[in-house]
Amino acid sequence: MIFARCTRSFGATQLIMQSSGLALQRAGHASPIPVGMDHDGRENKADIMWLSQDMTVLKVLDSNRVTEDGAEAVALAYANATEGWVVKRRLQQREGADWLLGKERRWLALEISGTAVGDPFARLRVKKQQLIANCSLDAERLAVVVVFDAPFIVAGTA
Amino acid sequence: MNASLFTLTEDELDTLVSIAIRRAEVLDQAGSLMANDAWREVMTYEERLAAITPPDEIPGGIARVGAVTAALAAGQRQEASRLALQYRDEESLPEERRAAIERAFREDGEQLAKRFPALAKSGKFAELQELRRRSAVTPLRVFPKVA
Repeated sequence: MIFARCTRSFGATQLIMQSSGLALQRAGHASPIPVGMDHDGRENKADIMWLSQDMTVLKVLDSNRVTEDGAEAVALAYANATEGWVVKRRLQQREGADWLLGKERRWLALEISGTAVGDPFARLRVKKQQLIANCSLDAERLAVVVVFDAPFIVAGTA
Repeated sequence: MNASLFTLTEDELDTLVSIAIRRAEVLDQAGSLMANDAWREVMTYEERLAAITPPDEIPGGIARVGAVTAALAAGQRQEASRLALQYRDEESLPEERRAAIERAFREDGEQLAKRFPALAKSGKFAELQELRRRSAVTPLRVFPKVA
């Protein structure tokens, strides 16, 4: 995942980069790994690459947070790699989305969810509904769910 | 506000506010006593971002609502009222952002009422809120201001 180009503020995503590698390695994967993708029903494939992480760190980290942060890193890289969105900033919970991304005077509110195992499509439906109900920003909206055991990325516009 | 903040660019402030929000939310979830300080830091960055971005653009609108919600999360309701008053005065602030500020106060009030049900039930809570709102316009003073 090439973060340097998906964010103007590298430091903003630096903290979650490590988690994406840890979440993937915890699921038994090694870099690079093929990943399945579904974006509004359009299927695709790509490879995820990351710097190998020291797994002993997992002993002192919250497991759910590693999954959530890891999913954020994967989703931000996905939004950049597929449509060129660039990270602007993290949003407070009350905005109803996790991140604001931008490109050429367009804005995207991105809602992200991560899970170690499970059905990503059911979760995507929930996330899309949350975006519609809670995000009042005058921006395009995208929900992304990352499953680490497959690994698989599902994305849907809301 | 710390003078060094005035030298930071919008991108640098975006980085700082992103990191600070994450930290504040983690501390909040953990029930840490440090959460208030973390939200105060978020408020500082949001306030500075609001000062350097136009109210009618998405990042500017987010920063303005963000400054108010962070102040409320930090328990600084008087500061939140002052900021809300200042931002509502900006004519080009979109209606949706004005509604988001109103919503933030309403939700904060509901949360407070849940925490202090007796105060809310007796009506004293509303009085307290009104006093806070008024004091945001005219600061309360123990002694009359010397002319």
